[in-house]
Amino acid sequence: MRTRLIVAFIVVALLAAVATAWVINLIVPWYPWLGHLIPEPQPLVHLLYSRSRPVPHHRGLPPVNAPTPPAALAFCLAAGGVLLAAIAGLAFAASRRVLLPVRRLARAAERMSDGDLTVRIEPQGRDELARLVTTFNAMAAALEDKVSELQRMEARARQFAGDVSHELRTPLTAMTAVTDVLGENESMTGDAAAAARLVRQETFHLNRLVDDLIEISRFDAGTAQLMTDETEIATAIGSCLRARGWENVHTSAPAGLSVGLDRRRFDVIVANLVGNALRHGGPPVTVTAGLQPDGQGSQQLAVAVRDHGPGLPPAAIPRVFDRFYKADTARTRSAGSGLGLAIAWENARLHGGHIDAGNHPDGGAVFTAILPANSRRPAGPAAEAAPARR
Amino acid sequence: MATVLLVEDDPGARQGLELALRRLGYGVHPAASGEAALDGVREVTVDVVVLDVMLPGLDGFEVCRRLRRDSDVPVIMLTARGDDFDIVGGLEAGADDYVVKPVEPRVLDARIRAVLRRLAPAAAPAETHGELVIDRNALIVRRAGREVSLTPTEFRLLLVLSGSPRQVFSREQLLDLVWEHGYLGDSRLVDACVQRLRAKIEMDTSEPRYIQTVRGFGYRFGPV
Repeated sequence: MRTRLIVAFIVVALLAAVATAWVINLIVPWYPWLGHLIPEPQPLVHLLYSRSRPVPHHRGLPPVNAPTPPAALAFCLAAGGVLLAAIAGLAFAASRRVLLPVRRLARAAERMSDGDLTVRIEPQGRDELARLVTTFNAMAAALEDKVSELQRMEARARQFAGDVSHELRTPLTAMTAVTDVLGENESMTGDAAAAARLVRQETFHLNRLVDDLIEISRFDAGTAQLMTDETEIATAIGSCLRARGWENVHTSAPAGLSVGLDRRRFDVIVANLVGNALRHGGPPVTVTAGLQPDGQGSQQLAVAVRDHGPGLPPAAIPRVFDRFYKADTARTRSAGSGLGLAIAWENARLHGGHIDAGNHPDGGAVFTAILPANSRRPAGPAAEAAPARR
Repeated sequence: MATVLLVEDDPGARQGLELALRRLGYGVHPAASGEAALDGVREVTVDVVVLDVMLPGLDGFEVCRRLRRDSDVPVIMLTARGDDFDIVGGLEAGADDYVVKPVEPRVLDARIRAVLRRLAPAAAPAETHGELVIDRNALIVRRAGREVSLTPTEFRLLLVLSGSPRQVFSREQLLDLVWEHGYLGDSRLVDACVQRLRAKIEMDTSEPRYIQTVRGFGYRFGPV
């Protein structure tokens, strides 16, 4: 760009110089020594075929100490050189004046597309470029305002969900504390007993929902933290199932396989995947864990939870991890909070992993949690564990 | 049966928890604010304090810190959030354990029982480890001849660790043995209690002699 500008500038300047000289010569005949270089002014028609004619005598000013032709030529060349250098210098300066703001504008636009909306440019002068810069600044400011307003709105919405959940905890504390009293009261019969049972059951459900909402709002707020510990996978899965009384889940994990994980979060992942399979899939439910190459020279832990039900409808597969998503729209509510798979997914993501959802070729849905494995101890041979027992 | 000082500003939650605790057989002294709680411990003898974090005026952390100045009464924090900030803040203020609202009465009962569990005196001669004398019979710990005042939880932690010198205990084992937390307890309880215990028995907490960290595994007592 710069080179082209300079060349164009020089060409235009030279043309202008030659044209000016010629026009001046038309009006006032030039110094005689220049007559060697510039044709004598005469009507254009003559000029076209009078090239070969010897230069006639000059009119106008008589020669005064006119330099000899070779000296004149050297002088002209030197003057031309100086003129050319001056023009080039001018062109350089002028191109700088044009190019510098354009370049600054380009850099600012690059920074902006990289996400820095705070970028502004100091406008210089009052020309079109300065106006462009002012417009750019106004656009950046408007964009920054809009984006930060959207961010504030989103943060408020998320904060609100978190706050509501927290607020619900205080009344729930009172309710949870006293619903046991209702359950223990044997004097209640008939409708009263049924009502008491319902209140207990729904309080339990509400507790779970609020717990899950608070858990997910922690991910949204970015306050969820990973506390990794060396975790023996077979033991962790066994404990998770035992703690929830899930006795008919068949597990298979290599004995001695130990991976650096957040134990509580791993427990949440397994519990939510197995709980989902038990509620929505068909028995038997199996959990298979093992290491596999991650394609980048390292190992990753894969924990697959499979059921033997009808499997996931294809349309549901991309959406199963959405919050409150229900594959079966006819079912109004299940025992879960509707957040279990979303929470499992967030927990996997916090580990730097993910969860795949799909169907097994032989039927049934398969959810596979893939977590980076930072294993220190080598895995032993696979030991087929019996169904978890209390 | 044990007496509980229940500090909770929300009337519903306070009444509900009081009712549940009474039915479980506890004597309950309700307090609606931190100031009332501090007055309460002066006036009546309580065995355990169940303390809400979010209180008007003095908050739960401050109440816990003031309680700790002249009392070793076990404190269980009642956090509304389960947020790390609340939990860590409560443990630093000297709480023995915490429960997350809404808490089921049987869970709160189990936690109260655990912090109150009387240490059974053991018919054993006092052990001397360096400057530390642990008398399992009289349930007294002395450092350089002076008795050290420990909360029941700190005492139990010290007894468990010093019961098997040089043996490394994982945080999970300690949670099970000292706090009686089942599966998936919060290991920060152990770390916070170790910090407090070190502050009381170690000469230099940055170079602990008695309770040593075994990085990546847990803690051990000695070798002195």
